[in-house]
Amino acid sequence: MASIVIKVPEPEKGSFNHNRPAGKLLQSQTLHLREALIKHLKDIADVLAIDPKSLKTEGEVSTYIQRATAILHTQARKP
Amino acid sequence: MTVGLSNLKHLVVLMMENRSFDHMLGGLSLVMENGQKKYPGVNGLTGNEWNPDTNNSPVKVNPNAKFQSQLDPDPDHHFPGVDLQIFNGAPQGAGRERSMKGFVKDYFTQTNNVNKSHNIMSYFTPDKVPVLSTLATQFALFNGWFSSIPGPTICNRAFAHYGTSFGQVGMDIFDILAPIMSSYERMLAAGKTAKIYYYDQQSSTMEIVNLLKNQPQIFATYDQFISDCAANTLPQYSFIEPCYNDHEGPGGGEILASDQHPDHNVQEGEKFIASIYNAIHGNPAVWDSTALLVVYDEHGGIYDHVAPPDCTPDDYQAKATATNTGAPFNFDYLGVRVPAILISPYIAKGTIVPGTEAGAGARIFEHASIPATVTNFFLNGDAKRTKREAAASTFLDILGNEARQDNDLPFFTLGGH
Repeated sequence: MASIVIKVPEPEKGSFNHNRPAGKLLQSQTLHLREALIKHLKDIADVLAIDPKSLKTEGEVSTYIQRATAILHTQARKP
Repeated sequence: MTVGLSNLKHLVVLMMENRSFDHMLGGLSLVMENGQKKYPGVNGLTGNEWNPDTNNSPVKVNPNAKFQSQLDPDPDHHFPGVDLQIFNGAPQGAGRERSMKGFVKDYFTQTNNVNKSHNIMSYFTPDKVPVLSTLATQFALFNGWFSSIPGPTICNRAFAHYGTSFGQVGMDIFDILAPIMSSYERMLAAGKTAKIYYYDQQSSTMEIVNLLKNQPQIFATYDQFISDCAANTLPQYSFIEPCYNDHEGPGGGEILASDQHPDHNVQEGEKFIASIYNAIHGNPAVWDSTALLVVYDEHGGIYDHVAPPDCTPDDYQAKATATNTGAPFNFDYLGVRVPAILISPYIAKGTIVPGTEAGAGARIFEHASIPATVTNFFLNGDAKRTKREAAASTFLDILGNEARQDNDLPFFTLGGH
Protein backbone atom coordinates (compact mmCIF):
# COMPACT_ATOMS: atom_id res chain seq x y z
CA MET A 1 0.00 0.00 0.00
CA ALA A 2 1.40 3.34 -0.98
CA SER A 3 1.93 5.73 1.89
CA ILE A 4 1.01 8.96 0.10
CA VAL A 5 -2.67 8.73 -0.71
CA ILE A 6 -4.17 11.66 -2.54
CA LYS A 7 -7.93 11.92 -2.86
CA VAL A 8 -8.81 13.38 -6.26
CA PRO A 9 -11.97 15.48 -6.13
CA GLU A 10 -14.84 15.11 -8.56
CA PRO A 11 -15.86 18.11 -10.67
CA GLU A 12 -18.93 19.89 -9.41
CA LYS A 13 -22.28 18.52 -10.50
CA GLY A 14 -23.47 20.51 -13.50
CA SER A 15 -20.00 20.75 -15.06
CA PHE A 16 -21.14 18.68 -18.03
CA ASN A 17 -22.27 20.90 -20.89
CA HIS A 18 -22.48 19.33 -24.29
CA ASN A 19 -24.27 22.45 -25.49
CA ARG A 20 -21.11 24.51 -24.96
CA PRO A 21 -20.18 26.19 -28.25
CA ALA A 22 -17.40 24.23 -29.95
CA GLY A 23 -14.14 26.16 -29.94
CA LYS A 24 -11.62 26.60 -32.74
CA LEU A 25 -9.73 23.47 -31.76
CA LEU A 26 -12.73 21.17 -32.06
CA GLN A 27 -13.85 22.86 -35.28
CA SER A 28 -10.36 22.34 -36.64
CA GLN A 29 -10.51 18.68 -35.63
CA THR A 30 -13.64 18.18 -37.73
CA LEU A 31 -11.92 19.77 -40.74
CA HIS A 32 -8.93 17.47 -40.36
CA LEU A 33 -11.17 14.42 -40.11
CA ARG A 34 -13.15 15.56 -43.13
CA GLU A 35 -9.94 15.93 -45.13
CA ALA A 36 -8.92 12.40 -44.18
CA LEU A 37 -12.34 11.12 -45.22
CA ILE A 38 -12.05 12.86 -48.60
CA LYS A 39 -8.68 11.22 -49.20
CA HIS A 40 -10.17 7.92 -48.11
CA LEU A 41 -13.12 8.26 -50.47
CA LYS A 42 -10.77 9.19 -53.29
CA ASP A 43 -8.89 5.95 -52.72
CA ILE A 44 -12.17 4.06 -52.94
CA ALA A 45 -13.24 5.98 -56.03
CA ASP A 46 -9.91 5.26 -57.70
CA VAL A 47 -10.35 1.54 -57.17
CA LEU A 48 -14.01 1.60 -58.24
CA ALA A 49 -13.01 3.38 -61.44
CA ILE A 50 -11.10 0.30 -62.53
CA ASP A 51 -13.16 -2.17 -64.50
CA PRO A 52 -12.22 -5.64 -63.16
CA LYS A 53 -12.85 -7.07 -66.59
CA SER A 54 -9.94 -5.00 -67.86
CA LEU A 55 -7.48 -6.83 -65.58
CA LYS A 56 -5.67 -9.48 -67.60
CA THR A 57 -2.58 -10.56 -65.73
CA GLU A 58 -2.07 -11.99 -62.25
CA GLY A 59 0.03 -8.95 -61.49
CA GLU A 60 -2.81 -6.57 -62.42
CA VAL A 61 -5.33 -8.63 -60.53
CA SER A 62 -3.17 -8.87 -57.43
CA THR A 63 -2.68 -5.09 -57.38
CA TYR A 64 -6.43 -4.60 -57.59
CA ILE A 65 -7.07 -7.14 -54.87
CA GLN A 66 -4.48 -5.55 -52.62
CA ARG A 67 -6.00 -2.07 -52.99
CA ALA A 68 -9.57 -3.31 -52.46
CA THR A 69 -8.59 -5.45 -49.50
CA ALA A 70 -6.66 -2.63 -47.88
CA ILE A 71 -9.75 -0.41 -48.06
CA LEU A 72 -12.16 -3.07 -46.84
CA HIS A 73 -9.82 -4.20 -44.10
CA THR A 74 -9.54 -0.64 -42.79
CA GLN A 75 -13.31 -0.27 -42.89
CA ALA A 76 -13.75 -3.47 -40.96
CA ARG A 77 -11.34 -2.48 -38.22
CA LYS A 78 -12.56 -1.07 -34.95
CA PRO A 79 -10.14 1.58 -33.76
CA MET B 1 23.61 3.09 -18.46
CA THR B 2 21.63 3.39 -15.24
CA VAL B 3 19.50 0.58 -13.82
CA GLY B 4 16.38 2.62 -14.55
CA LEU B 5 17.33 3.00 -18.17
CA SER B 6 18.33 -0.62 -18.65
CA ASN B 7 14.99 -1.72 -17.14
CA LEU B 8 13.01 0.67 -19.34
CA LYS B 9 10.74 -1.03 -21.87
CA HIS B 10 7.91 1.47 -22.29
CA LEU B 11 7.65 5.21 -22.74
CA VAL B 12 4.18 6.72 -22.27
CA VAL B 13 3.47 10.36 -23.16
CA LEU B 14 0.27 12.05 -22.00
CA MET B 15 -0.26 15.42 -23.66
CA MET B 16 -2.83 17.72 -22.07
CA GLU B 17 -4.14 21.01 -23.45
CA ASN B 18 -3.59 24.72 -23.08
CA ARG B 19 -2.28 25.61 -19.64
CA SER B 20 0.95 27.41 -18.80
CA PHE B 21 3.54 26.34 -16.24
CA ASP B 22 2.88 29.26 -13.90
CA HIS B 23 -0.89 28.80 -14.12
CA MET B 24 -0.74 25.14 -13.04
CA LEU B 25 2.48 24.87 -11.01
CA GLY B 26 3.86 28.38 -10.43
CA GLY B 27 2.19 28.41 -7.01
CA LEU B 28 4.61 25.74 -5.79
CA SER B 29 7.24 28.46 -5.37
CA LEU B 30 5.03 30.26 -2.85
CA VAL B 31 4.57 27.30 -0.52
CA MET B 32 6.40 27.95 2.76
CA GLU B 33 7.45 25.45 5.42
CA ASN B 34 9.17 26.49 8.65
CA GLY B 35 9.75 29.96 7.23
CA GLN B 36 11.49 28.63 4.12
CA LYS B 37 10.39 27.93 0.59
CA LYS B 38 9.30 24.29 0.51
CA TYR B 39 10.23 23.88 -3.16
CA PRO B 40 13.12 26.29 -3.71
CA GLY B 41 14.20 24.73 -6.99
CA VAL B 42 10.90 25.32 -8.78
CA ASN B 43 11.06 28.29 -11.14
CA GLY B 44 7.55 29.44 -10.33
CA LEU B 45 6.02 32.68 -9.15
CA THR B 46 7.18 35.23 -6.57
CA GLY B 47 3.69 36.73 -6.44
CA ASN B 48 4.97 40.05 -7.78
CA GLU B 49 4.86 39.28 -11.49
CA TRP B 50 2.57 41.65 -13.34
CA ASN B 51 1.27 42.78 -16.70
CA PRO B 52 -0.23 46.14 -17.63
CA ASP B 53 -3.89 46.13 -18.59
CA THR B 54 -5.41 48.27 -21.32
CA ASN B 55 -5.69 51.17 -18.83
CA ASN B 56 -1.95 50.75 -18.20
CA SER B 57 -2.65 49.67 -14.62
CA PRO B 58 -0.43 46.89 -13.30
CA VAL B 59 -2.16 43.54 -12.78
CA LYS B 60 -0.37 41.11 -10.50
CA VAL B 61 -0.60 37.35 -10.66
CA ASN B 62 -3.33 36.07 -8.35
CA PRO B 63 -4.14 32.66 -6.81
CA ASN B 64 -7.75 32.71 -7.90
CA ALA B 65 -7.73 30.32 -10.83
CA LYS B 66 -11.01 28.46 -11.16
CA PHE B 67 -11.71 25.00 -12.47
CA GLN B 68 -14.17 26.26 -15.05
CA SER B 69 -16.07 29.34 -16.30
CA GLN B 70 -13.20 31.76 -15.68
CA LEU B 71 -11.41 31.65 -19.03
CA ASP B 72 -14.44 31.94 -21.25
CA PRO B 73 -14.03 33.17 -23.97
CA ASP B 74 -11.06 31.00 -24.74
CA PRO B 75 -7.85 33.05 -24.41
CA ASP B 76 -6.13 33.78 -27.69
CA HIS B 77 -3.23 31.50 -28.48
CA HIS B 78 -2.85 31.93 -32.20
CA PHE B 79 0.42 33.25 -33.55
CA PRO B 80 -0.32 37.02 -33.53
CA GLY B 81 -1.91 36.81 -30.08
CA VAL B 82 1.05 34.96 -28.59
CA ASP B 83 3.35 37.49 -30.26
CA LEU B 84 1.55 40.23 -28.34
CA GLN B 85 1.72 38.21 -25.12
CA ILE B 86 5.47 37.69 -25.41
CA PHE B 87 6.60 41.00 -26.94
CA ASN B 88 3.87 43.34 -25.64
CA GLY B 89 3.51 45.04 -29.01
CA ALA B 90 7.19 45.82 -29.56
CA PRO B 91 7.76 46.62 -33.25
CA GLN B 92 8.93 43.78 -35.48
CA GLY B 93 12.67 43.63 -36.04
CA ALA B 94 15.86 42.50 -34.38
CA GLY B 95 16.32 42.79 -30.62
CA ARG B 96 12.68 42.69 -29.55
CA GLU B 97 12.47 42.10 -25.81
CA ARG B 98 10.53 39.00 -24.77
CA SER B 99 9.05 40.87 -21.82
CA MET B 100 6.04 38.56 -21.21
CA LYS B 101 4.02 41.70 -20.51
CA GLY B 102 1.24 41.48 -23.10
CA PHE B 103 -1.01 38.71 -21.75
CA VAL B 104 -3.65 40.95 -20.16
CA LYS B 105 -3.83 43.25 -23.16
CA ASP B 106 -4.25 40.27 -25.44
CA TYR B 107 -7.01 38.74 -23.33
CA PHE B 108 -8.80 42.06 -23.47
CA THR B 109 -9.07 41.57 -27.23
CA GLN B 110 -11.16 38.49 -26.43
CA THR B 111 -13.18 39.75 -23.50
CA ASN B 112 -13.60 43.49 -24.20
CA ASN B 113 -13.80 43.73 -20.43
CA VAL B 114 -10.89 45.13 -18.43
CA ASN B 115 -11.72 43.25 -15.22
CA LYS B 116 -12.18 39.96 -17.01
CA SER B 117 -8.90 40.44 -18.88
CA HIS B 118 -7.15 40.20 -15.49
CA ASN B 119 -8.20 36.53 -15.20
CA ILE B 120 -5.32 35.61 -17.49
CA MET B 121 -2.93 36.27 -14.56
CA SER B 122 -4.60 33.71 -12.30
CA TYR B 123 -2.86 30.59 -11.04
CA PHE B 124 -3.81 27.51 -9.05
CA THR B 125 -2.51 26.97 -5.56
CA PRO B 126 -1.08 23.43 -5.28
CA ASP B 127 -4.00 22.19 -3.14
CA LYS B 128 -6.37 22.94 -6.04
CA VAL B 129 -4.47 20.69 -8.42
CA PRO B 130 -3.35 17.89 -6.11
CA VAL B 131 -2.56 15.39 -8.84
CA LEU B 132 -0.29 17.59 -10.93
CA SER B 133 1.39 19.25 -7.96
CA THR B 134 1.98 15.88 -6.25
CA LEU B 135 3.52 14.39 -9.36
CA ALA B 136 5.62 17.54 -9.87
CA THR B 137 7.07 17.37 -6.37
CA GLN B 138 7.36 13.58 -6.17
CA PHE B 139 9.13 12.99 -9.49
CA ALA B 140 11.02 15.15 -12.02
CA LEU B 141 9.70 18.61 -12.83
CA PHE B 142 11.07 20.41 -15.88
CA ASN B 143 11.63 24.10 -15.22
CA GLY B 144 12.36 24.63 -18.90
CA TRP B 145 9.94 22.72 -21.10
CA PHE B 146 8.46 25.05 -23.72
CA SER B 147 5.88 24.66 -26.42
CA SER B 148 7.60 24.32 -29.78
CA ILE B 149 5.94 27.28 -31.46
CA PRO B 150 4.43 30.49 -30.05
CA GLY B 151 1.11 29.41 -31.50
CA PRO B 152 -1.85 27.04 -31.17
CA THR B 153 -2.47 23.32 -30.73
CA ILE B 154 -2.14 21.68 -34.11
CA CYS B 155 1.32 22.93 -35.04
CA ASN B 156 2.61 22.28 -31.53
CA ARG B 157 1.27 18.74 -31.41
CA ALA B 158 2.85 18.12 -34.82
CA PHE B 159 6.24 18.67 -33.19
CA ALA B 160 5.42 15.97 -30.65
CA HIS B 161 4.83 13.44 -33.42
CA TYR B 162 7.12 14.51 -36.27
CA GLY B 163 9.69 16.80 -34.64
CA THR B 164 8.48 19.58 -36.92
CA SER B 165 5.25 21.21 -38.07
CA PHE B 166 6.49 21.32 -41.68
CA GLY B 167 6.36 25.12 -41.62
CA GLN B 168 2.87 25.46 -40.13
CA VAL B 169 2.21 27.97 -37.36
CA GLY B 170 -1.55 27.52 -37.20
CA MET B 171 -4.37 25.03 -37.19
CA ASP B 172 -4.45 24.22 -40.90
CA ILE B 173 -4.08 20.76 -42.32
CA PHE B 174 -0.42 20.25 -43.01
CA ASP B 175 1.31 18.11 -45.58
CA ILE B 176 3.74 15.51 -44.32
CA LEU B 177 6.89 16.10 -46.31
CA ALA B 178 9.18 13.16 -47.01
CA PRO B 179 11.49 11.87 -45.76
CA ILE B 180 10.21 12.82 -42.28
CA MET B 181 7.99 10.17 -40.72
CA SER B 182 6.07 10.24 -37.48
CA SER B 183 7.68 8.53 -34.53
CA TYR B 184 5.00 5.80 -34.75
CA GLU B 185 5.83 5.03 -38.37
CA ARG B 186 9.54 5.03 -37.54
CA MET B 187 8.87 2.48 -34.81
CA LEU B 188 6.71 0.25 -37.01
CA ALA B 189 9.24 0.37 -39.85
CA ALA B 190 11.90 -0.89 -37.43
CA GLY B 191 9.72 -3.73 -36.15
CA LYS B 192 8.97 -1.94 -32.87
CA THR B 193 5.58 -1.24 -31.32
CA ALA B 194 3.79 2.08 -30.87
CA LYS B 195 0.24 3.22 -30.26
CA ILE B 196 -1.82 6.38 -29.99
CA TYR B 197 -4.56 5.90 -27.44
CA TYR B 198 -7.39 8.37 -27.97
CA TYR B 199 -10.20 8.58 -25.44
CA ASP B 200 -13.11 7.24 -27.49
CA GLN B 201 -14.58 7.58 -30.96
CA GLN B 202 -16.56 10.70 -30.01
CA SER B 203 -13.35 12.40 -28.95
CA SER B 204 -10.99 10.74 -31.45
CA THR B 205 -7.52 11.88 -32.34
CA MET B 206 -6.64 15.52 -32.69
CA GLU B 207 -4.25 16.27 -35.48
CA ILE B 208 -2.69 13.33 -37.18
CA VAL B 209 -5.83 12.03 -38.75
CA ASN B 210 -3.86 11.08 -41.84
CA LEU B 211 -2.44 8.28 -39.69
CA LEU B 212 -5.95 7.19 -38.76
CA LYS B 213 -6.46 6.41 -42.43
CA ASN B 214 -3.01 5.14 -43.29
CA GLN B 215 -1.96 3.36 -40.12
CA PRO B 216 -5.18 2.37 -38.32
CA GLN B 217 -3.39 -0.38 -36.44
CA ILE B 218 -1.53 2.14 -34.30
CA PHE B 219 -4.72 3.54 -32.79
CA ALA B 220 -6.57 2.30 -29.75
CA THR B 221 -8.76 3.80 -27.05
CA TYR B 222 -8.25 4.78 -23.43
CA ASP B 223 -10.05 1.62 -22.29
CA GLN B 224 -7.52 -0.44 -24.22
CA PHE B 225 -4.68 1.47 -22.53
CA ILE B 226 -6.07 0.53 -19.13
CA SER B 227 -6.36 -3.11 -20.26
CA ASP B 228 -2.86 -3.08 -21.75
CA CYS B 229 -1.42 -1.83 -18.46
CA ALA B 230 -3.24 -4.52 -16.51
CA ALA B 231 -2.10 -7.25 -18.91
CA ASN B 232 1.44 -5.88 -19.29
CA THR B 233 0.93 -5.62 -23.04
CA LEU B 234 1.81 -1.95 -23.51
CA PRO B 235 3.65 -1.14 -26.71
CA GLN B 236 7.14 0.27 -26.43
CA TYR B 237 5.90 3.78 -27.15
CA SER B 238 2.44 5.09 -26.27
CA PHE B 239 0.92 8.52 -26.77
CA ILE B 240 -2.29 9.27 -24.89
CA GLU B 241 -4.90 11.82 -25.87
CA PRO B 242 -7.43 13.03 -23.29
CA CYS B 243 -11.13 13.50 -24.00
CA TYR B 244 -11.55 16.69 -26.01
CA ASN B 245 -15.27 17.36 -25.62
CA ASP B 246 -18.26 16.82 -23.34
CA HIS B 247 -20.45 14.07 -24.72
CA GLU B 248 -22.85 11.36 -23.70
CA GLY B 249 -21.45 7.93 -22.94
CA PRO B 250 -22.61 4.68 -24.52
CA GLY B 251 -25.19 4.21 -21.77
CA GLY B 252 -26.29 7.83 -21.85
CA GLY B 253 -24.07 9.00 -18.97
CA GLU B 254 -22.07 12.21 -18.93
CA ILE B 255 -18.47 12.10 -20.16
CA LEU B 256 -16.63 15.33 -19.45
CA ALA B 257 -13.75 16.65 -21.52
CA SER B 258 -10.56 15.84 -19.62
CA ASP B 259 -8.09 17.82 -21.74
CA GLN B 260 -8.18 20.92 -19.45
CA HIS B 261 -8.54 23.18 -22.50
CA PRO B 262 -10.43 26.27 -21.32
CA ASP B 263 -13.34 26.17 -20.59
CA HIS B 264 -13.21 22.45 -19.79
CA ASN B 265 -13.12 21.36 -16.19
CA VAL B 266 -9.60 21.22 -14.75
CA GLN B 267 -10.60 18.69 -12.10
CA GLU B 268 -11.72 16.22 -14.75
CA GLY B 269 -8.26 16.51 -16.24
CA GLU B 270 -6.75 15.86 -12.83
CA LYS B 271 -8.81 12.68 -12.62
CA PHE B 272 -7.62 11.64 -16.05
CA ILE B 273 -3.95 12.18 -15.25
CA ALA B 274 -4.41 10.25 -12.00
CA SER B 275 -6.06 7.37 -13.85
CA ILE B 276 -3.12 7.06 -16.23
CA TYR B 277 -0.64 7.10 -13.34
CA ASN B 278 -2.71 4.57 -11.38
CA ALA B 279 -2.98 2.23 -14.39
CA ILE B 280 0.80 2.16 -14.78
CA HIS B 281 1.53 2.05 -11.08
CA GLY B 282 -1.09 -0.63 -10.53
CA ASN B 283 0.91 -3.32 -12.30
CA PRO B 284 4.35 -3.73 -10.70
CA ALA B 285 5.87 -5.17 -13.88
CA VAL B 286 4.65 -2.19 -15.90
CA TRP B 287 5.58 0.33 -13.24
CA ASP B 288 9.15 -0.92 -13.04
CA SER B 289 9.65 -0.79 -16.80
CA THR B 290 7.79 2.40 -17.78
CA ALA B 291 8.50 6.12 -17.85
CA LEU B 292 5.49 8.44 -18.05
CA LEU B 293 5.82 12.00 -19.36
CA VAL B 294 2.91 14.35 -18.58
CA VAL B 295 3.17 17.50 -20.70
CA TYR B 296 0.91 20.23 -22.10
CA ASP B 297 0.80 21.13 -25.79
CA GLU B 298 0.91 24.90 -25.30
CA HIS B 299 0.04 27.58 -22.77
CA GLY B 300 -3.40 28.43 -24.12
CA GLY B 301 -2.79 32.18 -23.89
CA ILE B 302 -2.38 32.03 -20.10
CA TYR B 303 0.40 33.93 -18.32
CA ASP B 304 3.87 32.56 -17.71
CA HIS B 305 6.80 34.67 -16.57
CA VAL B 306 9.70 32.91 -18.32
CA ALA B 307 10.77 34.34 -21.67
CA PRO B 308 10.99 31.61 -24.33
CA PRO B 309 14.60 30.99 -25.35
CA ASP B 310 16.10 30.71 -28.81
CA CYS B 311 16.28 27.29 -30.41
CA THR B 312 17.88 25.58 -33.37
CA PRO B 313 15.93 26.82 -36.38
CA ASP B 314 13.67 24.35 -38.09
CA ASP B 315 14.19 23.71 -41.77
CA TYR B 316 11.21 25.87 -42.61
CA GLN B 317 10.04 29.48 -42.64
CA ALA B 318 6.47 30.67 -42.13
CA LYS B 319 5.74 33.68 -44.30
CA ALA B 320 4.34 36.93 -42.93
CA THR B 321 1.02 36.06 -44.54
CA ALA B 322 0.91 32.93 -42.37
CA THR B 323 2.04 34.50 -39.10
CA ASN B 324 -0.26 37.54 -39.47
CA THR B 325 2.27 39.63 -37.55
CA GLY B 326 3.76 41.42 -40.54
CA ALA B 327 6.95 39.41 -40.24
CA PRO B 328 7.98 35.87 -41.18
CA PHE B 329 8.86 33.32 -38.53
CA ASN B 330 12.02 31.24 -38.81
CA PHE B 331 11.21 28.76 -36.04
CA ASP B 332 14.21 30.11 -34.16
CA TYR B 333 12.64 30.66 -30.74
CA LEU B 334 10.25 28.58 -28.71
CA GLY B 335 6.71 29.12 -27.51
CA VAL B 336 5.56 29.80 -23.95
CA ARG B 337 6.58 27.45 -21.13
CA VAL B 338 4.28 24.56 -20.20
CA PRO B 339 4.10 22.03 -17.35
CA ALA B 340 6.11 18.86 -17.92
CA ILE B 341 6.75 16.05 -15.45
CA LEU B 342 8.65 12.79 -15.92
CA ILE B 343 7.52 9.90 -13.72
CA SER B 344 9.31 6.63 -13.02
CA PRO B 345 10.24 4.65 -9.92
CA TYR B 346 13.85 5.41 -10.83
CA ILE B 347 13.44 9.17 -10.35
CA ALA B 348 14.33 10.65 -6.99
CA LYS B 349 11.62 12.57 -5.14
CA GLY B 350 11.80 16.30 -5.78
CA THR B 351 13.98 16.16 -8.88
CA ILE B 352 14.14 19.51 -10.66
CA VAL B 353 15.44 19.72 -14.20
CA PRO B 354 16.88 23.24 -14.44
CA GLY B 355 15.57 25.68 -17.03
CA THR B 356 16.60 29.13 -18.18
CA GLU B 357 17.07 30.30 -14.57
CA ALA B 358 20.19 28.10 -14.46
CA GLY B 359 21.99 30.07 -17.17
CA ALA B 360 24.70 27.88 -18.67
CA GLY B 361 23.36 24.92 -16.68
CA ALA B 362 19.95 25.10 -18.30
CA ARG B 363 18.41 22.09 -19.97
CA ILE B 364 15.82 23.27 -22.45
CA PHE B 365 13.13 20.94 -23.74
CA GLU B 366 10.33 21.31 -26.25
CA HIS B 367 7.99 18.91 -28.01
CA ALA B 368 10.61 17.85 -30.58
CA SER B 369 12.30 16.32 -27.52
CA ILE B 370 9.60 13.61 -27.61
CA PRO B 371 10.33 12.05 -31.04
CA ALA B 372 14.01 12.71 -30.41
CA THR B 373 13.85 10.65 -27.21
CA VAL B 374 11.78 7.88 -28.80
CA THR B 375 14.13 7.68 -31.77
CA ASN B 376 17.31 7.77 -29.73
CA PHE B 377 16.18 5.23 -27.16
CA PHE B 378 14.26 2.70 -29.24
CA LEU B 379 15.90 3.18 -32.64
CA ASN B 380 19.43 4.22 -31.73
CA GLY B 381 18.80 7.53 -33.48
CA ASP B 382 18.27 5.84 -36.81
CA ALA B 383 15.71 8.01 -38.61
CA LYS B 384 15.56 10.91 -41.00
CA ARG B 385 14.73 13.98 -38.96
CA THR B 386 14.83 17.73 -39.06
CA LYS B 387 17.73 19.77 -37.73
CA ARG B 388 15.39 20.91 -35.00
CA GLU B 389 14.65 17.40 -33.77
CA ALA B 390 18.27 16.31 -34.12
CA ALA B 391 19.25 19.18 -31.83
CA ALA B 392 16.45 18.64 -29.31
CA SER B 393 17.33 17.56 -25.77
CA THR B 394 16.30 14.07 -24.71
CA PHE B 395 15.15 13.23 -21.22
CA LEU B 396 15.58 9.58 -20.26
CA ASP B 397 18.98 10.20 -18.67
CA ILE B 398 16.98 11.50 -15.68
CA LEU B 399 16.25 7.89 -14.69
CA GLY B 400 18.67 6.78 -12.01
CA ASN B 401 19.82 3.55 -10.37
CA GLU B 402 17.63 3.30 -7.29
CA ALA B 403 14.03 2.08 -7.55
CA ARG B 404 11.83 3.80 -5.00
CA GLN B 405 9.80 1.59 -2.70
CA ASP B 406 6.03 1.56 -2.96
CA ASN B 407 5.57 3.16 0.45
CA ASP B 408 7.49 6.17 -0.86
CA LEU B 409 5.17 6.72 -3.81
CA PRO B 410 1.91 8.58 -4.26
CA PHE B 411 -1.34 6.84 -5.07
CA PHE B 412 -4.51 8.55 -6.16
CA THR B 413 -8.02 7.60 -5.10
CA LEU B 414 -10.61 8.87 -7.52
CA GLY B 415 -14.00 10.25 -6.62
CA GLY B 416 -13.16 11.86 -3.27
CA HIS B 417 -14.50 15.22 -2.13
